[in-house]
Amino acid sequence: MQKPADFDAYWERTMQELDRLPVAAELELNQLRSSPEVTIYNVRFTSIGPYRLFAYYAVPVGQGPFPVRVQIGGYQSVVTVPAGSPTGHWDGGNTARLALCYRGQRHSDKPYAAAFPGMLTDGIEDPQEYVWRGVVADCCRAVDFVCSRPEIDVSQITLTGNDLALMAAAFRSDRLAGVSAAPALFYRLEEALPRATAYPLEEFNDYLRLYPERREQVFRTLAYFEPLYFAPRVRCPVRLSGDPAWLELLRRALGNQS
Amino acid sequence: MERPRTPPEQYGTSVTRPPDFDAFWQEVWDEASRIPLEPRVEPVPLRSNEHVATYEGSYTSLNRVRIATWYCVPRRPGPHPAVIYLPGYISEPPLQKGREWAARGYACCVVAVRGKLRSNAQFNPGYPGLLTYNIVDRYTYSYRGLYIDACRAVDFLLSRPEVDPERIAVTGSSQGGGLSIVVASMRREIKAACPGAPYLCGIRDAIQLTHTYPYEEINDYLRLYPERREQVLATVDYFDGINLAPRITCPTLVNIGGKDTICPPETGYAVFKAIGASIKELKVYPEEGHSAGAAQHEPLIIEWIARYIGSPSS
Repeated sequence: MQKPADFDAYWERTMQELDRLPVAAELELNQLRSSPEVTIYNVRFTSIGPYRLFAYYAVPVGQGPFPVRVQIGGYQSVVTVPAGSPTGHWDGGNTARLALCYRGQRHSDKPYAAAFPGMLTDGIEDPQEYVWRGVVADCCRAVDFVCSRPEIDVSQITLTGNDLALMAAAFRSDRLAGVSAAPALFYRLEEALPRATAYPLEEFNDYLRLYPERREQVFRTLAYFEPLYFAPRVRCPVRLSGDPAWLELLRRALGNQS
Repeated sequence: MERPRTPPEQYGTSVTRPPDFDAFWQEVWDEASRIPLEPRVEPVPLRSNEHVATYEGSYTSLNRVRIATWYCVPRRPGPHPAVIYLPGYISEPPLQKGREWAARGYACCVVAVRGKLRSNAQFNPGYPGLLTYNIVDRYTYSYRGLYIDACRAVDFLLSRPEVDPERIAVTGSSQGGGLSIVVASMRREIKAACPGAPYLCGIRDAIQLTHTYPYEEINDYLRLYPERREQVLATVDYFDGINLAPRITCPTLVNIGGKDTICPPETGYAVFKAIGASIKELKVYPEEGHSAGAAQHEPLIIEWIARYIGSPSS
C-alpha cells in the first residue's frame, strides 16, 4: 500500500475545511456526574460536515490552570464519563480530561448513528466520503476546544487513544505536549487483515469477502489512513503501546519523536 | 483510613428478599405472555462466511419493545444445540462471540437488549443512565423490561426449526453474567449456564464496595437525591441476581476476578452461594480484574456447555 501522491493535499484540504468552521463550544454543567472533587460538563462543538459533536469534560475542583488529557475512545458506540483512578474515585490529580464522542458514537449520533460493526467500512469506496476523514477532524477539534478554555494550561495538553490520536497529533503537534497512541484500526492493514480473525479488523475482511472486486478501491482509501504516513508530520513526543516488534516500522517512521 | 477489608468470600450480602418478590415477577411474566413474540430473521450476507450464516434476528418484548439479535447458525444440517450470549453494559452485543459459537456447531443468539444499538428506537436512556432509569419505581424500572428481553431469547430460539429445544445454554460476562443468572433462573429450558463476573448481583453491597461505573451511577444519583435512598434500595432488591439465583436448577459455572473493581468479588461469592443448582462450580481468578480470567476461562465454558447440553456432533 503506497502513500497516495496527494496524501498531504487530501489532509490539508480537510484541515482547511475544519479551520473555516468556528469551534462554537457550549458547556452545560452535568450535576449528576459531578462530585466534590471534579466538575463534569457536557460539551458540544462543531467539526467538519458541519457536524455537532459531544464530549464529557472533567475539570478538577480547585485553582487552575490545569493540564488536560484529551481522550479519544476506542472503537465502540459508548464513551464513558472520565473517571479518576481504577477504583473510580477521582484520583486527586490536577489534570482535566476531555472524553470525545466522535461522529457516530453515542451522543454524537445525530444525524449519523454509526453501526458497530459497520463503521470501519462506512464510505470506504471513496476517500472523500470515508467517515474516518471526518473522525480525524473531530479529534483535532477536541484539541481546539481545550485550547480555547481559560482554565487550561495550554502548554500541558496531551492526547491519548488509538491510531486516531496519532493522526490528530500530525495536525496539532504545535499544541500538544505529547501523544500516547495504541494503533488498532488502520496500521499495516495489508499484512494485518489476512491474519485477523476478530472484530473490528474482521469488518474489513467481511467487506472484502462480499465485494472482492472492490479490493483495490478499499486499499486506495485506506492508504490515506495508514499511521505510517502521518508519522513524519508528528513533531511532539509520542508514546506508543502495543507489540514492539509490530510497531517497529512506526517507531522508525516517527524518528526521534517516539 | 479504610477499615481492613473483610475477606471477599466471607463478606456475605445485605440484599434482602422483598416479601412479594415472587408475586412481582409472576405479574411481569403474565404481562409478557400476552405480548406476541413476532420473531423474524433477515440474512446478513456481509457478516456471514463459509462456516456461519449470520442473521439479524428480532422479536417483541415487554412494552412491545422490538429486540434485535445477531443470530449465527452453523452451515450444516441441524438440529443444533444453542447458546444465548448476553451483552455487557456499555459494549455492543459481540457478533464475534456469535460467530465463534456457530463455528463450534451451536446456533448462537447474541442479544441486543433494549437501549443497545438496533434495539433503541423505543427506549434509549444511555450509558450512564440505564442503571438509574426510573429507579424509584420497580414497575417502570429499566431492568424490568430488559430482563424480559434477555429471557425471550429462549422463545426466539424455540421458534427456530433448526434449534434443538432440549439443548439451550446461556452465557456472558459482566452484565452478560448478571443476565445469564436472570435467564437461567427464569427459564426452565436453560440446561447450562456460565455467568462471568456477574453484574446486578449484590447491588446494595456493590455501591458500597466500588466507585466505578456502572454501579457508581447509583451513587451519583443518591448524591444528588439523598432523600430517595430507601426507595432506590427497595427497587433494586427486586432485580438483584442474589434473589433470583435460588431458582436456578441447571448446572452453573461462575467465574470471577479476585481484583475486580467493577463487579466486586464479594458480590460474586454471594451470588454463587445463592445459586440453587446442585451442580455448580465457582472458578476464582485471584489476580484478575473485571475480565475474570476470560481468556483462560473460555475453554472451561466451552467444555461445561458441551458436557451439559451435548457437543454439536452428539
